[in-house]
Formats: sequence, C-alpha cells, structure tokens
Amino acid sequence: MDKIVPAQYQPPLPLDTLIVQDGAEGSGDRMELDVLIVGAGPAGLACAIELARLAKADRTELNIGVLEKAEALGEHSLSGAVVNPRAFRELFPDLKDSDFPFRAPVAKEAVYLLTAERRWRLPTPPTMHNRGYYIASLCEVVRWLGAKAEALGVNVFTGFPAAQLLVRDAAVAGVRTAPAGLDRDGKPTPGGTAPNDLVAKVTALAEGTRGLLAQAWCQWQRVPSENPQIFALGVKELWETQQPLDRVIHTLGWPIPSDAFGGSFVYPLEPNLVALGLVVGLDYRDAALDVHVLLQRLKQHRLLRALLAGGEMVEWGAKTIPEGGFYSLPERRSGAGVVLLGDAAGFVDVPSLKGIHYAMHSGIYAARAIFQNLKNGAALSAYDRLVDASYIARDLYRTRNMRLAFRDGFYLGGIQAALMTLTGGRFPNGKYRMHADVEVARRLSPGLRPGSAETPVGVSKVDAVFKSGNSTRDTIPSHLIPAKDVPVEVARFYSHVCPAGVYEAIDGGLRINAPNCVDCKATDVLGPRWTPREGGSGPKYKRM
Amino acid sequence: MTTLAVLEQRDGVLRKISHEVVTAAQRLGGGVEAVVCAAGVVQGADQAAKFGADKIVTLTNPAFAKYAPEACAQALAERAKLGGHRCIVFAASATGKDLAPRVAAKLGVAVAADITDLATDGGAIVVTRPVYAGKALLKVKVAAQPAVLSLRPNVFTPVERPKAGAAETVAVTVPAGRVTVREIKAAPAGTLDVAEAQVIISGGRGLKEPANFKVLEDLARAFGGQAAVGASRAVVDAGWRAHADQVGQTGKTVSPSLYIAVGISGAIQHLAGMRTSKVIVAINKDKDAPIFKVADYGVVGDLFEIVPKLTEEIRKLHG
Amino acid sequence: MKIAVCIKRVPDSETRVKIAADGKSLDEAGVKFVLNPYDEFALEEALRRKEKAGTGEVVVVCLGPAVAQETIRTALSWGADRGVLLQADKIPADPFETAKVIAAELKTTSWDLILFGRMAIDDYNHQVGQLVAELLGLPCVTAVSHLDIEGTKGVAEREIEGGIEVVDFPLPAVLTADKGLNEPRLPALKGIMAAKKKPLEVKPVQVGAGVLEVVALTPPPERKEGKIVGEGAGAVAELVRLLREEAKVL
Repeated sequence: MDKIVPAQYQPPLPLDTLIVQDGAEGSGDRMELDVLIVGAGPAGLACAIELARLAKADRTELNIGVLEKAEALGEHSLSGAVVNPRAFRELFPDLKDSDFPFRAPVAKEAVYLLTAERRWRLPTPPTMHNRGYYIASLCEVVRWLGAKAEALGVNVFTGFPAAQLLVRDAAVAGVRTAPAGLDRDGKPTPGGTAPNDLVAKVTALAEGTRGLLAQAWCQWQRVPSENPQIFALGVKELWETQQPLDRVIHTLGWPIPSDAFGGSFVYPLEPNLVALGLVVGLDYRDAALDVHVLLQRLKQHRLLRALLAGGEMVEWGAKTIPEGGFYSLPERRSGAGVVLLGDAAGFVDVPSLKGIHYAMHSGIYAARAIFQNLKNGAALSAYDRLVDASYIARDLYRTRNMRLAFRDGFYLGGIQAALMTLTGGRFPNGKYRMHADVEVARRLSPGLRPGSAETPVGVSKVDAVFKSGNSTRDTIPSHLIPAKDVPVEVARFYSHVCPAGVYEAIDGGLRINAPNCVDCKATDVLGPRWTPREGGSGPKYKRM
Repeated sequence: MTTLAVLEQRDGVLRKISHEVVTAAQRLGGGVEAVVCAAGVVQGADQAAKFGADKIVTLTNPAFAKYAPEACAQALAERAKLGGHRCIVFAASATGKDLAPRVAAKLGVAVAADITDLATDGGAIVVTRPVYAGKALLKVKVAAQPAVLSLRPNVFTPVERPKAGAAETVAVTVPAGRVTVREIKAAPAGTLDVAEAQVIISGGRGLKEPANFKVLEDLARAFGGQAAVGASRAVVDAGWRAHADQVGQTGKTVSPSLYIAVGISGAIQHLAGMRTSKVIVAINKDKDAPIFKVADYGVVGDLFEIVPKLTEEIRKLHG
Repeated sequence: MKIAVCIKRVPDSETRVKIAADGKSLDEAGVKFVLNPYDEFALEEALRRKEKAGTGEVVVVCLGPAVAQETIRTALSWGADRGVLLQADKIPADPFETAKVIAAELKTTSWDLILFGRMAIDDYNHQVGQLVAELLGLPCVTAVSHLDIEGTKGVAEREIEGGIEVVDFPLPAVLTADKGLNEPRLPALKGIMAAKKKPLEVKPVQVGAGVLEVVALTPPPERKEGKIVGEGAGAVAELVRLLREEAKVL
C-alpha cells in the first residue's frame, strides 16, 4: 500500500438511526415547545434571544428551548477568537461595545511567513485586517449570551445532546436526545435516563461544525451544494505567559508542509494570557501529518519560544472549521419545520478567519423568519432570502474561491489568492471544484516523521486531553463508528488525525479510547463516524 | 496554659494516632493534659507520657465501652471547662471528625479542622489547613479560648519528649445517649472503591497476564483496608480486570494520597488524571519509561521482585 | 416526611485555584460553581424517602450569595419542593457562624430529618452538620453511607478505620451524608422546567465574624522533582523510608 483513501474506510452516515418517525417508541419524557434550538453556541443563542425579544415586543409568549450537549454553557465552545461586533450591536442596540463580553480591542497586528529558522513579516492581507474588532474567548461569549437568553425566559437545557431527528413525513418535528447512564456495552442501567423527545413547530439546527443532524437532514432531503463541505482542524492552547504580548499574530508556512493549507494564530486575551493555535486543512496529502504534533513543533520557533518560556499551558482544545465557503453552503438552509444556522450551515469566512458574527446574524435572521412563520404562516424559506440578501452572502461570495485555490498548494494558491484579493474576487473567476476531504488520497511514504510531541514546551496528547477538562466517564460505551476491518496503516492515519489520542494502532489493529474524545469532529470528517454520547461528556472548556 | 490532648481508644486499647495528638499539643508549650474516655483501663494510655503528657486522665463510664458521641462530647466539654485549657486537640480520624465539632459546639466555638501545621503567634494560635482538595493552604488565626483543633492524620509525626504522665482516673456521669453504636462490623472484603481509596495500586500491561494481578492484591491487603487495586483501560478492555477497577486517563474520580503505578509505562492513556494524587510511585523495568518523569519516587527493575518486597515492608509497618 | 436538606454552592472540583489579590481568598473569575457533591447524596436521600413515603416535603436551605439561587434551582429540578436562600455576600470562614444562621432558620419548623453533606469540597470543614444539631438539640450521626429507617427509628452505617460502625438513632435527627449512601439521580428535562415555578424565598442574613480569622491563602509547596530511588528489590527499604518520613503518606 503506498496510499490510502479514507473514504474507503468510512462508514456511511447511519440515516436509519438518525431519522426517526415522531411517535416511535424508545423515549421516556416528551416535551412540546414552540421553537427548539439545537446547540447553545453563538448562533443558537442569538436566535433564541432575537425570538424572545420579538415575542416580547409582540406581547405573545413563545416557549423556546435550547438543547446543549455540554454540561454547562461554553464547555464545548472553542474559537480563536477575534470577533466582529456587528451582530452584538444589532442584537443589543442599547449596549455599548464595552458592555460586550470581549477581552480587548485589537491594537497591533502582524502576519509572518515562517521557515524552521526564520520569519518574514508580510503586509497584512486586506482580508485579515482586524482593526475595530475584539479579542474574545468564545466560552465567555457563550456564557454571556446564555445569561441574556435565560433572563428573557428562554429555557436552556445543558447536558442534553440531540441524537436523532424526529420527523413527520418529510417535515422535521423535533429531536430525540441521547440516553444517559449506558453501560460499557451500551445497555441501559437503573441509574440512567432514557432519551427524551422534544417536539416543536420549528427546529433550528445550530450544532456547530460538522453538525450530525444537519448532515442527516441534508442527506435525507437530498439538499445539494455546489461543492462538498471541506474542513480544517484547529488545535488550540491557552497559555499564562511570563512575557507580555501586545499584538495579534498570524503565521503562514512552517511547520505546515507546502502541500497543505493552514496557518497559526496567537491572540492575547490579556497581555499575559495568550491563545494560540494551528489550523490545517484536512485535505492534506501526507498520512502522517499530525496537527497537534505540528503545533508542539510550532511553539519551538524563535518567534514563540521566548513568549512561552516560563509560562504554563492552562487549557487545550481542538475543533474543526468548515472551510468550503460560499460554494459549500447547502442550496437551501430551511425546510419543513427546520432551519440550519451558523457553522452547521457553513457560514465561515476562511480568509478573514471569522464565523462568530455570521453565526449570530444567521441566528437573528432565522429568528425573524421563524417568528413570522409562527405568527402568520409565512414560509421558513424567508430565512434563506434574508441571508442571501445580507452581508453574510456578500462576504462569502467575495472570497468564494480563496481557500479553494489552495488545493493547488501553498505557493500557487497564494498567488491566486492574492489576485482574488486585488480584484475583489472577480479574478480568477469560475468555481473551483473541490473534493470532499475524505476522498483525498494520502500518501504513506515518503512521509513526515511525525516526531514526538515531547519538547520543552510540548505536551503529549494524553496530557493535552487532561487540560481540555475532559472528565468523560471511563465506562461509557464508544460513540464512534469505524469500518469493520481497519488495516494498520489506516489505524495509524487515524491516530495522527485525532488530536486527542482516541485512536491507537496497536497489535496490528485499531484501538479506540473513546472517552478521550473532545468532539472536534475530525474523526467524522476523515475516519470513524461520530455520534453524540451522554450529556456532559467531552471537554469542559473555560476560556477557549 | 495547658493543652488538652484528646486520645482515642477502641475496645480498651489506645489507638496509635493518639501519639500524634500529644506531639502536636506539646508544640504549643504550657503543658499537656491527655484525656481519654473509656469504660475502664486503657491499654497503652501510659504511652502518652513518652510523647509529652504531664497528666493522663481517663474519664470512665460504662457507656464509653463503645463510641458514645453525646456522652463523650459532654464529658470532654465539662473537662475542658474545668481545666480552663488554652487549646483542645483532637485527631481528625473518623471518630475525631465526628466528635470534635460536638465538643466545640458545647464550648460555643468551631473547630479549626484537619490542620497540617500549628504555631503560636503572640498569644494567638495560628494553624494551616489544606483546602480545595489540597490545591491551596489556608492559614487561620484562632481567636478563641479554648481553641479547638483537629489534626490531619499522618502529618504530626510522633516525637518522643518524655514527661511525667501522672495517671488519674475520674468516673463521670453522662446523659443517656440517643445515638448509640450497636457494633463495629468488618468492611466487606474487596469493596473499597477505587475512587475513594487513600492508596491506589494500579497495574498495566507490564503485568503480562491477569493472574499476576495477585501480586498487586497482596500489596493492597498489606495496607490494611485503605488500598484498592486499579487497572488501566487497556487491561480492562483486555478483560483482565473488572470495569469498576478502571483508573482512566480522565481521572475524574481518582485522587489518592499514594498512587503506585506498576508495570505502566505512561506512554499513552492513564496518566493525566492521576496527576492529582499526592504522591506517585512508579515501578517499571524500563528506566526511560515516561512514567518516571511524572512519579515522585521511582524504582527501576523487575516488578515481580520489587512488589513482593514492598508488600513485606508495608506489612511490617502496619502490623 | 418533612425533610430539610442544607446545601452549599462550591467551586467545581476541577477548579484551577488562583489566589485573589487580597491574598486570602479564591479568585472567582471563570470558576465554575456546582452543588457540593456530598450534598447531592443528602438531597437524593431526602427525595427517595419522600417519594417512598408518598407524602411530605423536601425543603432546600442554602447560605450563600444571590447567585446561589442557581444552585437551589438545581436542587429544585431534582424534585425538591421549595428552597430558601439565606443570602449573605460572604460565607464566613468560621463554620460555627454558618451553623448559627442555619439553625435559626431551621428552628421554626419541626423536621423529621435534617440532612447535610458530610463536608464541603472547598473548605473541608466537616462540621456544620454537627454544630447545627448541637444548636437545635437534636441527635446527630455523621458520614452516613447506609441508612435504614422504620417509623421513628433509624440505623445508620458509617465508615471508620478498619470497619463499619453501625449506629442506632431516633428521629427527628440530623444526618450528614457520605459517598455510597446512594446514586444521585441525573437531571430530567421536565424537572428543569418545573423548577422555575417552585417557590424560592430569599432572606438576607447577617453572619458574624466568628473566632477563626483567615490570615492567608497560599498555593501548596512546589512539587519536588521526582527521583529514582534505586534499582530492584534492594531499593524498597529506602522507598518505604522516604514515603514515611519525607512524603508522609505511610
């Protein structure tokens, strides 16, 4: 074997279990709501807040429920982040920027091209100007939004993952939550809880990146997109540093190989509290590429070594990012009884590394469409029209080919991207065709030597998972669905894909350490399918 | 001003933890009166003299044959009031944790509980107590008289400072207790939850086969009921050990005082959670095994030789 | 059965402890607060007994700041009937002061059982239950890991060194709950919804300073670098000596 195509080993999406007729047996409690929102991230919460405000202004009462799989708000939220405040200003016109849950305005910034030994300062690409934006922790943003939502009477249920879509014919009726307390073999125990059915007139899927139910709905309803969605994996660390940092930094180049796309970010939440991460497109060509290991290597670069010396890594985490942009959006993000929000729909602009304000605005537009739908029976497709007429669509269209150009490699891609920037997206034109990440062949050799994560400032995956706050029950049944027979080369590939050490190639086969999983979804993109497990499992991010 | 050192007896025999209490009381200066509640003579009570008790008082009443919380609290509170002591010291043993607050309440104060250090600062007593699961130390000034303290076990290593230890027996009358100890029954064997054990001995694949876990079970038994045998997930997945024994990498439930990792390389899995253990000992034949970087103390070599020797030494200590 | 459960809002056990600027308290920025885990056993026990009796009331009492209402709501979502927040911005370092305030609140009702968690995972004081019992003149059994009740007679089991103490006591009584007493329930969606409508009374209280005064809160001494004690069975004697004298774990 000299190369592997991950698609050959990825089971299909288990639609039979994901789509369930409403009324089917198997659930415990049943709850009826007006609007059900799956996911208490920025998109879901913005939707809930706008809906609650519309209802209040209209003097009607709406029973709004938000389901969140993490044990507490924010614990599964992770981003850089530099936030464009416009969605906050729209949602809270009476508040000032200083009232919002941001850490600091972006003051200075710098972009560097790195080689192993050196760095070259580049002029900041126009798409990456962050003046007027704010450095923030998405965890803090989510907790703040959550408090606002609850103050408006929204019911936020943490610890309840949505596992299945409840449907009535071709319409979405709600969701069924995952059971809790299953034993190692997946059997219920006396202390556990059965799945709950939550039915609503409209269900908003705001599950975040690679949302399971969003995928299931699109496939079930055969909603096409011009390109398949593609993803990058970001691995992030939060450091308390001895040395202060006064600027936002982005880097390109080393240690990412030239046939892969990505870069790093270094953001000071406080002068001595620094968020840093490495983001790499999952269409990389080398089966041995390991994003976590590359991040450990990056920290050795002269640019960062002095900054981190004597410091302490206080948190670690990982998450995928949908990178396909405009052409990967589903043709419609609304249907009978359902709307798709935020990252689950793909509203992320890679060249500017922004998605939070798009997520929130998609939630706001969805809320308006949902409100009219409930009040007057107006079609939910109004949501699509609102988004298409908004800056969300305009921004994504302008950069529609920029990430895609990098499928041709760093240098060629860089040139094309520069041209696109100069021409405002008019040239090169056309549409770059992309393959799904899982279909991209990976060469086994010559390969990168993944090397060890153990360096003076490096941390192993086991220690990293501990720092994500992961305290998943060790006896939990595995939530990951691999192919039946996985050759050892593919097992090894999985072990490099997963930043959390879930997969090991041991004794000629694949060992799965499911409790390690931090729900980044890289596995769902390239390897075994991810399904939700009992609420509260996974990481407990605090300031990521 | 003297300190009242409350000794602990069970079935008429002095418990060794009492030596720590007298040692600590000695540190406060001003003399130590040791006191114990018992139905009759307490074997080994005279040992308190070795550690600094000027007086050893046995308060007797048939009710004290078994632990009688209300009667004991009443008797001790009255003795404390009578003696005008500056300080009363208990061991924060299972019984001490129950008893000390009852006595303190009768004296109208709280207990400075589970302390790991004490000193006098001018006229005041200043103590140190671990809080937040040992992640921080709280220094507290006790502005009460008497000050009531309880000592974390195994911290105030007994120091011999022989004093007269004049013995006195006082029969006391106590109220009939509403709470009565019926009996002390043996803890069912092998039910010590890995999550709760003070000592965890964990085995990994280095043990080679399931039957070899016996070596770890022998060591656990030598600790006399405080130790549990844990296993890495790999070993549990392989079916060698029960699921309930698993000590996982997430480590959410594990924080023993002593964690002994046997035949665990630490290369992957397992490690991260058990980091919150107070002391980590590693036994492995590979001197470069990553676990040695995490361990406080390591022994390199054949575990099948080392562990039995350790079992022998621990048995000697606890015997 | 009329049962009071006294609960505390505490920092999550995974909290990374940072000392506040005053050098005496925890820096609460970003700290996740939860219902004290030992109180969960107490609450679960109260709910089971009320459910078994078919009738009765479980009231949750908490001394804490205004935000502790969230913790009381959590208890209500498990099934408690109503809650009382004794509101004070600062919880005293002196547990006797805490006990006085709680006892004053409980005094006005005649309870069948008053339950506490054995200790709080922040301050490890392990005494408020006994102090309250003493102030109320009620019998008290601590660290209960098994409980049987017949009418007004109770039998409790508690772990002591080397064994299990079996204790008889009459009701009404104060009990403090230990791990093993029961398996706390998981929250249910319906319970979470219902909790919002249950009564929660907020009563501002004054707490005295007491006799225990915090001088300082400091991080623990740095973990020393590990050492290889030796090789083979010959190193064991030295290992044991170090564990006894240096590490003080034996």
